[in-house]
Amino acid sequence: MNELSRPADAPHALPTKISVRGLDFYYNGHHALKNINLDIPDRKVTAIIGPSGCGKSTLLRVFNRIYASYSGLEATGQVLLDGENILADEFSLNRLRTRVGMVFQKAVPFPLSIYDNIAYALRHHLKLSRSQMDDRVERALTEAALWSEVKDKLKTSGLSLSGGQQQRLCIARAIALRPQVLLLDEPTSALDPIATGRIEQLLNELQGDYTIVIVTHNMQQAARVSSHTAYMFLGEMIEFGVTGELFTRPQRRQTEDYITGRFG
Amino acid sequence: MSRAHGLRYRRRRLTDYVARGLGTVATLFGLFWLTWILFGSLSQGLHAINLAIFTQTTPPPGAEGGLANALLGSLMMSFLGVLIGAPVGIAAGSYLAEFAERRPLWRETIRFVNDILLSAPSIVLGLFVYTLAVRSVGHFSGWAGSLALAMIVLPVVVRTTDETLRLVPNVMREAALSLGIPRWKVTVQVLYRAAAPGILTGVLLGLARISGETAPLLFTALNNQYWASSLDSPMASVPVVIFQFAMSPYDNWHELAWAGAFIVTAFVLLLSVGARAFLLRNRVEATS
Repeated sequence: MNELSRPADAPHALPTKISVRGLDFYYNGHHALKNINLDIPDRKVTAIIGPSGCGKSTLLRVFNRIYASYSGLEATGQVLLDGENILADEFSLNRLRTRVGMVFQKAVPFPLSIYDNIAYALRHHLKLSRSQMDDRVERALTEAALWSEVKDKLKTSGLSLSGGQQQRLCIARAIALRPQVLLLDEPTSALDPIATGRIEQLLNELQGDYTIVIVTHNMQQAARVSSHTAYMFLGEMIEFGVTGELFTRPQRRQTEDYITGRFG
Repeated sequence: MSRAHGLRYRRRRLTDYVARGLGTVATLFGLFWLTWILFGSLSQGLHAINLAIFTQTTPPPGAEGGLANALLGSLMMSFLGVLIGAPVGIAAGSYLAEFAERRPLWRETIRFVNDILLSAPSIVLGLFVYTLAVRSVGHFSGWAGSLALAMIVLPVVVRTTDETLRLVPNVMREAALSLGIPRWKVTVQVLYRAAAPGILTGVLLGLARISGETAPLLFTALNNQYWASSLDSPMASVPVVIFQFAMSPYDNWHELAWAGAFIVTAFVLLLSVGARAFLLRNRVEATS
């Protein structure tokens, strides 16, 4: 029995970027996340899978506290980013969001030029000269594998790109701030297989520099891109382990049922 | 799938024809009145339109003249009305859509009151402004007229801004917030840009609405046979001049009334059509 076959709340061998301890989440009284314990390894891709409504997106959205702009949502417990509890009132939301970026299922470029889409957040947070800004924009677009396609039309609207390109633009926008963690909520579910493949390839390239957490309902995608996978069901963390192990030798019956398609 | 020919199919086709026929008749009925008004004011007013309309002030009965002071008065008071009403309306609409998340009762109350204001008789608004801005200073003025018009523009802009902002996908809000941008900046720098066509249309429709308002101006700006010396004095406006001239027994005044009616109708029509065309054109560009 290796150490990874212990239940989900066991300490992890790899350095941990985000440590979730006893997280409970409530949606207008409904108990959506129940006592979640999880260690997200540093600079790896971690996938969160599970059937619809299991709470995987809810968990992801705790990591950048995007739920804070809505009423009736409450999180208790601890979520430690490099040892600091991000759920604490004193932890500034802006500081959190410069360290934890997010890409959404629907690619939603701002109604600005491609250049300004990337530069917008940079202008707010940093004082950069024109050439420094140009460099940052180019670097972000290059890292997102979009630079060669858009370098001649940086001033055109972000909305003029194709769906796959728009999503890569959103990824570039998120990584322009050089966050340490990148959260992706079903980023390819609205894209065709070729665009999906390019984004998966992109995630592979990014993982050395960023800790990536990706929510996906596509198990094959989780198997392709992630080094670790977490399986959730009805708001509970059922199992967490190395991707290869989880998919071939799951520890829990529930995990096995989901993976083999017996339900969900 | 049903067969292509059969009693039921024929009956459905008959129902389809009848329904379409009734719909067409109803449309034609509505269009008839619209065309009648347009052509009526066109035929009556067009031959009275000449350069004098735009250069000479309103004349005494029987004399030559134009509508220049009324046109200028309408332009100034409408412009001021929008200048006062639109920013307040945009701010209020933004508050309702973006910043009242945690206060649903308060938010819905404001929306409800705004809807009441939207359908309030404009003469009541005029009376309110009369008490506030005319009786208190002792004279009629262009300022009071502008204020009354602003109060008509306000609920229109609040409503359209509120609804347009709510149409912006939530993902865009969240994407901007996820970049660490503060809430107010997200609204002003991102959401306004996304909602701009709708908000602008709301403002233009507000302008179209106040262009033809008569009742509130009757006892705020009153009327003025000559050029108004300033906004602080009574001002002429086209709808009020139409009101005065049409009910008189003088022919030259009747002609000028028709000319004024045509100008106002054409202006409102162009503004409404233009606003909608602008909105739709932007929508087409965004999806291509």
